[in-house]
Amino acid sequence: MSSPVYVAGVGVISGIGNNVAEHLDAFEREKAGMGPITRMNTIHKGELPVAEVKLSNEELISMTGLPERMSRTALLSLVAAREAISDAGIAGISSYRTGFVSANTVGGMDKSEDFFVDFMANNNKGKLRNIFDHECGSMTEVVADKLGIKYFITTLSTACSSSANSVSYAARLIRNGVLDIAIAGGADALAKFTLNGFNTLMIVDKQFCRPFDQNREGLNLGEGAGYLVLVSDKIAGQSDKFPYCRISGYCNSNDAYHQTASSPDGTGSYLAMKGALEKSGLQSSDISYINLHGTGTPNNDSSEGIAIKRLFDPYYPPMSSTKSFTGHTLGASGGIEAVFSALAIKHGLIYPNLRFTTRMEEVPFEPEKHFLSGRQVRHVMSNSFGFGGNCTSLIFSAA
Amino acid sequence: MCQGIIRRNNELVFEGEHTDPASFFLSVYRDLGFSYPKFHKMDNLCKLGWLASEVLLKDDFDLGRYEPEEIGLVLANHNSSLDDDTRYWETAKEAASPSLFVYTLPNIVIGEICIRNNFKGEHVFYIQQDFDADFIANQVNYLIDNNILQACICGWMDVLGAEYKASLFLVEKQEGGQSVPFSAENMNAIFKAI
Repeated sequence: MSSPVYVAGVGVISGIGNNVAEHLDAFEREKAGMGPITRMNTIHKGELPVAEVKLSNEELISMTGLPERMSRTALLSLVAAREAISDAGIAGISSYRTGFVSANTVGGMDKSEDFFVDFMANNNKGKLRNIFDHECGSMTEVVADKLGIKYFITTLSTACSSSANSVSYAARLIRNGVLDIAIAGGADALAKFTLNGFNTLMIVDKQFCRPFDQNREGLNLGEGAGYLVLVSDKIAGQSDKFPYCRISGYCNSNDAYHQTASSPDGTGSYLAMKGALEKSGLQSSDISYINLHGTGTPNNDSSEGIAIKRLFDPYYPPMSSTKSFTGHTLGASGGIEAVFSALAIKHGLIYPNLRFTTRMEEVPFEPEKHFLSGRQVRHVMSNSFGFGGNCTSLIFSAA
Repeated sequence: MCQGIIRRNNELVFEGEHTDPASFFLSVYRDLGFSYPKFHKMDNLCKLGWLASEVLLKDDFDLGRYEPEEIGLVLANHNSSLDDDTRYWETAKEAASPSLFVYTLPNIVIGEICIRNNFKGEHVFYIQQDFDADFIANQVNYLIDNNILQACICGWMDVLGAEYKASLFLVEKQEGGQSVPFSAENMNAIFKAI
């Protein structure tokens, strides 16, 4: 019942690149993806920076072949999922028990919110049939259809830990012999809905975000998608390609503290990290790198930091928040950062935590400031903590 | 619980003045001697649901008989979180209030009750035209009959403007001292009696 699960392929799109190669290049050049809002018609234009994917809807439609009315969430999802499948290079993927386990939080809200304004003023403007399928599950179904995956399809939506939970759920499906192959991760497009929501909570930074910095003032929103192709032992054995890594641990826990805040002592994040370590059979000192949740909000980084201190003290591995590059991509972040974790192991990389200057007063450690390559990276912990107290940690280990 | 009156198993627990909901909830909280600072942060729907569940579970409910995962909730109302949504929308014209924003979902009340009692079982909140006892009974029976839950709090909690009503039922697999058979008819009768 505990057969290993391998990562055979990865695909990613975000504000710093449209594929894996562009991401690696942006990390090496330490180039963030944030900039002024160009696509959303909002009063926050010119005021709040966001990390937009540098492709228009028209460009994404022509790349993917999806219909014009499709939500950007589905467009981003298909681009990254296709890259992951192509990267895995498994012939005849549909001849296996293949699943698509995909997360998102915003669904087709990017389209619904524009439709709604005109339609409320005049219900002859627009047809409801063009927006009926904007709930989260539809995004997954549209993409699964294009990928030709029929055997198993499901959608997870647990706020900012959504696609980390996709990865752990898909790993469990393979581990328990339900699936041979799973494309697991998630996608989210920028929308006024989320921007206004986070802005109401007063946790959006008007400058580029500064994760784990004493002077941090909030997050920047981003968008994108990230997927792993997870395979069973048997499928991995049939492939000529050496896997990126294996999934050695995962754990989900809940803070049960507040709708939109982590507990000050980081109970949920501590339990998630500790549980993932126990699952993997590793000690905290075995972890080579932590990809932090690190949103840049005062609350998250403090509580995550305190939880790390409790679990790792006195030995702290290199750690960083790649949200300093991509912004917070919400339901996509766990999948995107799972891709970064797999790449860190394969290429021996530690990603920098951009714009860090001042250590947080509550912790005795600092994130990594510069891009490091040629490192021995054997075990990576990736954290994703969501609203509603939903906390997930994943551990990836060298295959 | 409605119109200034709280009844539990047909007995009058509290009778106050029929004032606005927030003042009534505060008088219940004080009079029944609750001490839960988070109560004061809650929106009206959460205050209503929290108080109703406290009254429902007081005295003879033995939490220790169940694992946290064995207790769940099946709730419904007509007005979702509209009472808080409206207040939030008013503030959004000047400066949107984060503390009102975080209650702009009806199922937040489930979270408040679960956090209070450490319930971790299945839970769901439906928006319905009227109290639909048959529908609720079906949902609860499914959860109990399939051993997904051993105990379930179900019923109605609705608040909008000056009106509020909560009617909660504790359903257990094992018969207790004061229990009556769980049926849509019995729920309807109790719902209409208050």
